[in-house]
Order: sequence, then C-alpha cells, then structure tokens
Amino acid sequence: MFVSRSMVSQVITITKEASIFEAKEKMDAHAIRHLPVVDPDNRLIGIVTDRDLRSAMPYAMFKNGATAEEREQLARLTVGDIMTSNPMTIPPDYTIQDALLLIQKKRVGAFPVVDSNGYLKGILSVRDLLRAFINVLGIHEPGTLLCIEVEEKVGQLKKIVDAITEENISFGSVLVARTWDKGKRAVFPYLLTNNVARIKKKLSAMGYRLIDPMEWYIDTLPKTEK
Amino acid sequence: MKRTGYLYDDRYQDHDTGSEHPESADRLATIHANLRSAGLLDWLIPIRATRADIRWLHAVHPPHYIRRFEEVCLSGNSCFDFPDNQMCVSTYDTAFLAVGGVIETARRIMADEMDNAFCAIRPPGHHAEADLAMGFCYFNNVAIAARYLQQAHGIQRVAIIDIDVHHGNGTQHIFEDDPTVFYYSIHEHPSFSFPGSGRDFERGTGPGEGFTKNSLVLPGQGDDTYKTLIQQDLLPAMEMFKPEFILVSCGFDAHEADDMADIELSRDGYIWVMKTILQLADQYTHSRIISVLEGGYCLEWLGKLAVDHVRVLLEG
Repeated sequence: MFVSRSMVSQVITITKEASIFEAKEKMDAHAIRHLPVVDPDNRLIGIVTDRDLRSAMPYAMFKNGATAEEREQLARLTVGDIMTSNPMTIPPDYTIQDALLLIQKKRVGAFPVVDSNGYLKGILSVRDLLRAFINVLGIHEPGTLLCIEVEEKVGQLKKIVDAITEENISFGSVLVARTWDKGKRAVFPYLLTNNVARIKKKLSAMGYRLIDPMEWYIDTLPKTEK
Repeated sequence: MKRTGYLYDDRYQDHDTGSEHPESADRLATIHANLRSAGLLDWLIPIRATRADIRWLHAVHPPHYIRRFEEVCLSGNSCFDFPDNQMCVSTYDTAFLAVGGVIETARRIMADEMDNAFCAIRPPGHHAEADLAMGFCYFNNVAIAARYLQQAHGIQRVAIIDIDVHHGNGTQHIFEDDPTVFYYSIHEHPSFSFPGSGRDFERGTGPGEGFTKNSLVLPGQGDDTYKTLIQQDLLPAMEMFKPEFILVSCGFDAHEADDMADIELSRDGYIWVMKTILQLADQYTHSRIISVLEGGYCLEWLGKLAVDHVRVLLEG
C-alpha cells in the first residue's frame, strides 16, 4: 500500500533553463501533464503543469504550434519562469490512503515523490491512484457484483463470506459501505463467476436482503470535506 | 415461409457440468422436447453434428490453447481456467461437435439448401477468448463460424448480433480490431453483471474502430429499452455496415424469469427482437442468418422461448 510501489519511477523531468516549448513537446510526446523540474543532481526544485503552459502561451500557439517569430518572442520564457517552486511533495513511504486523502484535500493532479534529501524518486498522479483503485475493486477480472444489506453487527460478513465460499466461488473484492438506513450496512462482494443465481437464492434464504441494483449507492460518505 | 435448419444432436448432452450447474444438458433436452411437442420438427431441416476440422478452430484459437484444453479435459479435470467452467472427459469432443455443427450449418446455407437456421448446441461460446475459457464457454462457436464464412466462402462482411444478457467478451476481443466483422451486443450494464466488459466506450480498436457497438440495459429494464436501443444503435450500424451474413449469439437469459441477470425482457420482447433481426437479414444478407444458442438457464421458459424463436425463423 506504499506510494513507492504505485508511483511511476522512470520520471520524465525537465530543467529550469529549458524553454516552455521544450516542456510542451515533452508533455505531448509522453502524454503527461506534470513535469517535475530538477537540478543537475536530480533534486526537485519545482513542477510545471500543462496548465502553466496554457497560461503562458496564447491559445493558437498552444494548439497549433508557433511560427518562428512567435517562437523567438516566447523562447526567452523558461520553465523556471513559469514553474511552481517548492511544490507539495510526498515521501515514498506514504501510503496510498495518505495520497488519496491528500490529493482530495489539496486538489492537485499529481505529487512528486521525494526522499528526505530532496531527491526525486518518482511521481504519483491521479491516474496511478485510479489504477490502484481499479485493482482494489478487482474489476479488471470477469465477475459479477452483488449488493447485500446487513445489520450493522459483528459477524455478518463472515456468514456471507462463508456462504459464498461454500459455493466454491472466488472473490475479486468485498466492499463494505454505509447505507441509507441507520444500523444497516451494504456489502458489495465482487464474485469471479457468471454463476450467481444459486448464491443469490441462498443468501435470500439466509434472511439477507439483496438490494435492487438500481438502488445501489457506494458513495454514501459525507461530501462536506474540502 | 423460410427454409429453416435445426442443428441438434443428443451428443451435445454429453458435456456434463455436474449437478446444480446452470449450464446443464437439461437445457437442450427441454428445447428439443418443446420443439417436438409444438410440432415444429416436421417443418425444420434437420442438421446433425459433425466434428469440426481443426483448421477452422485455428482461425480463432491458437494451437497451444486447443492443446491445453485437450490435456486438461482428457486427464479428467472437472474444470478448466475458471471454476465456472465445469466439465467432464467428453467436454473437449463435445466442444468440437458444437463448432463443427455450426460450420456444417453455414456450409449448407451457403450451398442454398436452407435460408436460416437455429443451432441448439452446447457448450456455448461467446465468453471464450482466443486463449482463455470463460463463463461456461470453451471454443467461440460464432467467431469460428464467422471466419469460416470469410475464408471458405469469400463472405466479406459478417455481422454478429449478440442478444445474450451477458456481454460476449470473447467475440468482441477476437474481432475488435477487424473492420470486416461487426460485433453488436445488447446486454445488462457491465457494472451489474458478468463479465464486467462491454461498456459504452468500447467501440473497437485500430482499423476496427467503429465496428463494435455495445447497448447497455440497466437492471429491471425490459421490452421498451430493448426496442429503443435496437432501433437507435443496431439498425443504423447495419445500415452503415451492410453485412452479407448475420450470426446471432442467442441467449435466452434476458428473459424476466431467468435469475442469472436482472433484465426483464418478456416473451413478446424476444419475438420482437428476433423479428427485427430477421428483417435485417431480408434487407442485407439474402435472408442468410444463423442463430446459435449461448445462455438461457430458466428451464421452465427456455423451451417456450426457443419455440417462439424458431417460429420467427420459419415465418420471417
């Protein structure tokens, strides 16, 4: 669950002396939106984003490239002029959860990952977090999602997991979410099978309510946090 | 009145998935019994299963996959690749008979012995990837038939219309970069149902971009949604593609009584869907169409739905 395992380690970087055209070309070539700016020792000194470039270049130039004359005018503008100095960074031993919470709080698209001596070790973007979340959900494998309403008391999940295991069905993931009714929880087992008719019947017979898929609602956490 | 073929063979029941597996031999038994008691067998041109020539399997499945399947099956294992795929020692041979039967059906249609046909076969095929068995499927019967039609009969454009309630991941992946095979599937939204693929944004890749189309049905929806989506998505796609042959991946598991998914298509809804597909065949393919059984697990309804289906094929 550590950032060091999910980040991109082969980072595309740029120097502060580089022109903004060079930055744009690098971003386009690698389909990325964040370029960490490093010194010759690979210590992080800033970050430049595609938004910084958009702000620095007239729209037509950003979109279509510049004429020689326009290029000359803007060529004096370097990455160092437009970058964000001392950007927010995270250490490699942060967890994915740390990064998720921080990325939501700070509203940024990526964090450079920097060790305690200031050396750039990697970059972790929203994309990397999404990939991690897809892995957590298990939805890259074929399966079927169920949603079961349970009483909020100890031991419910065990009964459900046991019942599913008895049917020789493997789990892609199990999510437990808050639900709309007080004292209830919604359990979302992602089952790696096509054959869900029997287990659905069995869970109903055990007294669990299978929630109508049109009523599923994973995101029930308070949204007030900024 | 159309000349309609009917592929059925008792040997398709030899693929034994064990007790309590939904994809059971009883499925074919009930389909066959219902067609018989409805008096339809007299009207249909019987087609017997034949073993497929392995070169047609190679058009879709790499030799190492076929060998692996043979080894796992003949050494007595009860499942292959996933626990879903329960099998017996006869499964490998039965799978060859299923593919061979569909190919024989295609051959006879191309020889103008019949206009269209229904293939009551097991095991089903649309989840089978080129090199992976999945969702009760081992060989992708429909995909192999499409390649056979192209390579043996010079058919340029084949449309595969998949009305099983689950997305045919295997068929889509096999043809996703190929503009000569259009894959259309209407199925329950993948966030709610197996296998989790077949999303709206999956539209083919490379030269095949625009030759895959998925129509998604939300849980609880039925006839009205099917009518809207098929008119809005399938008909224009066929108008653009102008297929020379239509293969239907025919699953009866979108029926309201089938509890493998959450879709509420009625008996009349199924008839409407098939009539609409038949009109497409009349319009584009000289009525050439093969419907190949995929899923459908409610034994109480499966036979009735198959009877309706075959009547539509006969009557157009």
